[in-house]
Amino acid sequence: MSPELTNHPLIRADGSATHTTSLFTILAAVNGPIEVQRRDELPEEAAIEVNIRPCAGIGGPRERWLESVLAALLKSVLLVHAHPRTLMQVTLQVLKEPSSGVRVRRRLGDVAVLPALVNAAFAACVDAGLPLGRTVVAGLAVVREDGDGVVVDPDEKALAGCRSVHAMGFDAQGELLLNESGGQFELRQWQDVFEVLKTTAAVAIAPTGEDEAMMNGDGTPAPWLRQALEGNAREAGAWRGVG
Amino acid sequence: MASTIFLPGEQVPSEVLPRSKKGTLTLGPGLRHIPPATVLATTLGSLHIDHKKAALWLEHENGRYQPAVGDLVIAQIHHSSVDTWHCSLTPHTSLALLNQLAFESASRKNRPNLKSGDLVYARVSRCSKWDDVEIEGFNSATGKAEGMGPLKGGMAFGISPAFARRLMMGTGKDGLAKGGVVVLDEVGEKVKFEVAVGRNGRVWVDSGSVKTTITVGRLLQSADEEKWDVERQRKEVKKALRDV
Repeated sequence: MSPELTNHPLIRADGSATHTTSLFTILAAVNGPIEVQRRDELPEEAAIEVNIRPCAGIGGPRERWLESVLAALLKSVLLVHAHPRTLMQVTLQVLKEPSSGVRVRRRLGDVAVLPALVNAAFAACVDAGLPLGRTVVAGLAVVREDGDGVVVDPDEKALAGCRSVHAMGFDAQGELLLNESGGQFELRQWQDVFEVLKTTAAVAIAPTGEDEAMMNGDGTPAPWLRQALEGNAREAGAWRGVG
Repeated sequence: MASTIFLPGEQVPSEVLPRSKKGTLTLGPGLRHIPPATVLATTLGSLHIDHKKAALWLEHENGRYQPAVGDLVIAQIHHSSVDTWHCSLTPHTSLALLNQLAFESASRKNRPNLKSGDLVYARVSRCSKWDDVEIEGFNSATGKAEGMGPLKGGMAFGISPAFARRLMMGTGKDGLAKGGVVVLDEVGEKVKFEVAVGRNGRVWVDSGSVKTTITVGRLLQSADEEKWDVERQRKEVKKALRDV
């Protein structure tokens, strides 16, 4: 299943998006730049606040950890110097997660949600029109129990029966922006995963050529992120056609 | 217009950059310049180029209003201090300053008496990312109000900043609305009302009756949220005016 992106589901937030992968659905809302509390104020750049709400219950240490990972990533993506002494507030709500019947080891589950959170937060930041330095795409991959074979964008079964989980984020230049792993793995396996995820990330934002139909015909995956974002931009400019 | 769409961080190719006689280039919203000659997109949007002015910018629909000098805004008075009013332009941002004497023919003895909650149609006179935004209720160069000043009566409605921009585009030479919004023209043919559009995503409407005011405001809000095209706008206006 290819990831899905819905643009601007919330009209009251400055920017919002929902992102669906085979494992998770995330609703992201972004407000900013807004007034920042004096104690969080930074004189030279915008403060970034990330709030993650789990599917059920209230957040705990797990959510605090995810928030810290995400805030660090967003700081490298947002142009924080453009709006000093302000706040960029990102709120992420997990709407769907793997059903409780599938037993996933704690640390593996924590890492698995990261790519979905990153992609949702990025899409919402784009929707909010915040100044961004680069485009980021995150991907998830697992190494199978036998230690060989990498599964990209795994389903619940593959996640439950895996040896290690890897979440990585890349920008358009192929630079690694996010790297979190869980489980047991060796350097060789990590390198395999790195190569595979780098390729999938590049595909997700690959420029759409004129031979688009031909590309999709022979089974190459579509650049889903670019297509979703360009679709939004076209829709936004649609009034020009009739006006 | 075959517009190219850019993703954040993508480079605008140097072939498409307009050339002017002076050799200067004006960058609008959504673009940043990295010396010596790199122009990068900072947001998702379609590229627009004005060859006459050697200007280019990215157009993006959503997001919070960012003040820029010269923008007409509808400000709401928050509180008053010695000789300024503190007004809110958008929710949860720091307040803009409005000098109490920054109105047409205002003096120490004769100045508008505004209370917290009142609306003012004003122009952004100064803004920088390091400082508070300043607005004024008249054109300080000419001393004339030019339509600005306190807004009495009526009601303010929230719309998206992009829709506000479309409303303010005016009509082109062919007599058609440039922004593709005909709601106000259509309603104006049947009933009398006053309207002020603020770039900060607020529109103020006043007419003889509360019912008309709310009808006009609602029409604008729905046209924005449901992205009505011109045909749909005409239809909905006709439908709404039947009850007024």
